[in-house]
Amino acid sequence: MNSTKLKRQQTGRRLKFTNDDLWGYIFIAAAMIIFCVFTLYPVFSAIYTSFFNYKPFGSEFVGLKNYADTLKYSKFNLFYKAALNTLIYTVIVVPLSLLLSFSIAVMIMPFKKKTQSVFKAMYYLPGIASGVALSVVWLWLYDSSPDGIFNRLLGIFGIPAQNWLSSTKTSMLSLIIMALLSSHGVRIITYIAALLGIDNSYFEAAELDGATFFQKVRYIVWPLVKPTTLFLLVTGVIGSFQVFMNAYMMTGGGPDNSTTMIGLLIYNNAFVYGKYGLACAQAILLAIAIAIMSLFQFRLMGVDVEY
Amino acid sequence: MKKFITMLLVCVMVLGLFAGCGNGSTQQTTAATTAAPAADATEAPAQETEAAPDTIVIMAPPVTGNYLENLKTWANDFHELYPNLTVQVIETSWGDHNDKLSTMAQAGEAPDIAEISSNALGTFVEMGVAIDIAQYMSADRLADYDENALKYLSLEGTTYGLPLYLTIQSIGANKTMMEELGIDVAKIQKEGWTYEEFLDVIKQGTKDGCYGFVFANSGVTASDMLYIFGAGAGLSNTFTPDLKYTMTSENMLTMLSAVEEMTKSGYMPNYGVEAGQRMVMCQTGNAMIFGKAMPLFENNFKKNNAALEANDGTAVENSLPMDYAFLPVPTMDGCAESCYGTVDGLIAMRNKNTTDEHLKNVLLFMDYICSGERIATCMNELYLDPVCQSGRDALVLEEGRDADNLATAARCIAMVQAPPEGVTTEMTATAKKLMDEQIVPKFQLLLAGETTAQEVYDHICEAAYAAFGADNCVSGKLG
Repeated sequence: MNSTKLKRQQTGRRLKFTNDDLWGYIFIAAAMIIFCVFTLYPVFSAIYTSFFNYKPFGSEFVGLKNYADTLKYSKFNLFYKAALNTLIYTVIVVPLSLLLSFSIAVMIMPFKKKTQSVFKAMYYLPGIASGVALSVVWLWLYDSSPDGIFNRLLGIFGIPAQNWLSSTKTSMLSLIIMALLSSHGVRIITYIAALLGIDNSYFEAAELDGATFFQKVRYIVWPLVKPTTLFLLVTGVIGSFQVFMNAYMMTGGGPDNSTTMIGLLIYNNAFVYGKYGLACAQAILLAIAIAIMSLFQFRLMGVDVEY
Repeated sequence: MKKFITMLLVCVMVLGLFAGCGNGSTQQTTAATTAAPAADATEAPAQETEAAPDTIVIMAPPVTGNYLENLKTWANDFHELYPNLTVQVIETSWGDHNDKLSTMAQAGEAPDIAEISSNALGTFVEMGVAIDIAQYMSADRLADYDENALKYLSLEGTTYGLPLYLTIQSIGANKTMMEELGIDVAKIQKEGWTYEEFLDVIKQGTKDGCYGFVFANSGVTASDMLYIFGAGAGLSNTFTPDLKYTMTSENMLTMLSAVEEMTKSGYMPNYGVEAGQRMVMCQTGNAMIFGKAMPLFENNFKKNNAALEANDGTAVENSLPMDYAFLPVPTMDGCAESCYGTVDGLIAMRNKNTTDEHLKNVLLFMDYICSGERIATCMNELYLDPVCQSGRDALVLEEGRDADNLATAARCIAMVQAPPEGVTTEMTATAKKLMDEQIVPKFQLLLAGETTAQEVYDHICEAAYAAFGADNCVSGKLG
């Protein structure tokens, strides 16, 4: 029984719609309108468009053809290759970035507040820069000539120059390194916020018991930041599945489609080939895959998490 | 009061958000969603539309350094000629032009006129937003444009746009260095050369710290090499006159084998070279011949030489003074000399406000800026010949242009082969997807030295047979 009904029964009279209620709804409406126009409508519009061979002046209904074309297995259908690439990228980038962010957050924690702020600002800085500008910098770092920055670094250790973005052996690795090193500011700050929420008495008790640093991290910190980890994992997986700009700016999906991600494939179908219906169908399939992955993660990790 | 102010702020915020979604067009005409009926091509559009005010929207990137500024001047000149017609210019950059145009077109809000490369025409025809321009402009005005150039902007017998220029893409060189090595550059420019001769030249040009040849091949730019060297191997067009797919011919294997040989020879870098690096490598003495190159680059070399002489700090870092030579692409396996070219032009586009009367006005302005003095000005900046008679008549060549480069460019333009007639929109779309998703990615692998020419060729054939059917693909040698 919901609380309104209960209250009504207890008081024995109908609740009045007060002026405060009206204002409440008005304020909610502002957010709801924006959500409906910029999120809900595009989602339903994409679902609708996915059943059409979309043309601005007279679309043709094609039923499930766009879905069938996407899922039809062929050596030359890029959807599966793009899905596999995206999965590989996600499976490597998300856990590693979580681990990296968590480790950095734990290392920052012992410092005084001012020093913490300096580190937080430094790690967050790349997030402020435009993705395109960052890509240009990374293109420069990955310069495949012997004079390229990374190649010079490798040269110090006697390792031959690498064809970073133009070889199938290193192209995906290059995108992964870029993702790992340039986008963990938010995660570090989130982890630090979670770490600050842990009561100091746990650590004092652990110290009395003679726990080492790693034991404290393993048995106190990690379990207590699990809700944060789950949140970052779910949002990280969603973000990784939607990855687009890195591949678009750095490799264009090549070589040999080794870095073609689902996001890039959808973009190409929509804006290069003008196949909006097909692109929408692929976007819907991607959304379904993300939803399934998120549910799976909640089931797997969310059992003992109050979230 | 607080609530009221908060509410006001919220309303302003929401309205502000919606303001960006409104239709920015100034036109008030009724939307037309069906194909417009044919207009009398012999009627002079200007006479008909003198009274009705109309706004024409054009979207263009900086086709030349001064193009967008010039466009505004021409728009004003046009308005003086036709006071009822106003031109609105949407300026874009090369980086966002195609995406912006595609998005606007898909939303039914395409500009009336847009700059496109002929390669992208099929996409807009398929979308149903490209307009048959012959219905809205007089036949004698259309006849001003070269038939060869118009073919690039035509599909299935319908012409959708007017050409701005026919751009040729080939290779360029440090002429000074080549001549120092005793290579007869003028002879190559006049008579062309074979792949074997080219290989010998780049071998001579390769020494410590300098490659004989460099081609921008990183990422999607790899396709340029495929097209440019493909022309030398007889692959000037994607389809034969009897509409068979050419990329499966033995000519493709010849070209791929040549690229494999070049990559492994050490005469060119075996790593990915960004587009911006290739000319710099030539100017700094790190490469002798480079691609892709266009006649226009002569201007870059001249400016750099002047900057070096003036020592004003604007020259390319570590660059050397040198002359530029525009070279034809080498021929392979006895194929006739050819050159890769595409046409960039303006197309008329349908949007929610399109009417027949409006389209006549649109074509009037489109013809105005694609012809006469306007196009001659552009071509002088691009070091190209106009592709319309009125443009050629108005062209006064700027002084100081290298006569050999000029003659080579003219010779190369004449060698460009227009696409055959009868190619359908579907065929074009399939060929483009095949090129982007199958051929170029495998070609990138070949450039990285991770596969062989034969493996790439086999993959291309397999993919093409699956897309077009083996019967519709060329087997054996072309010609």
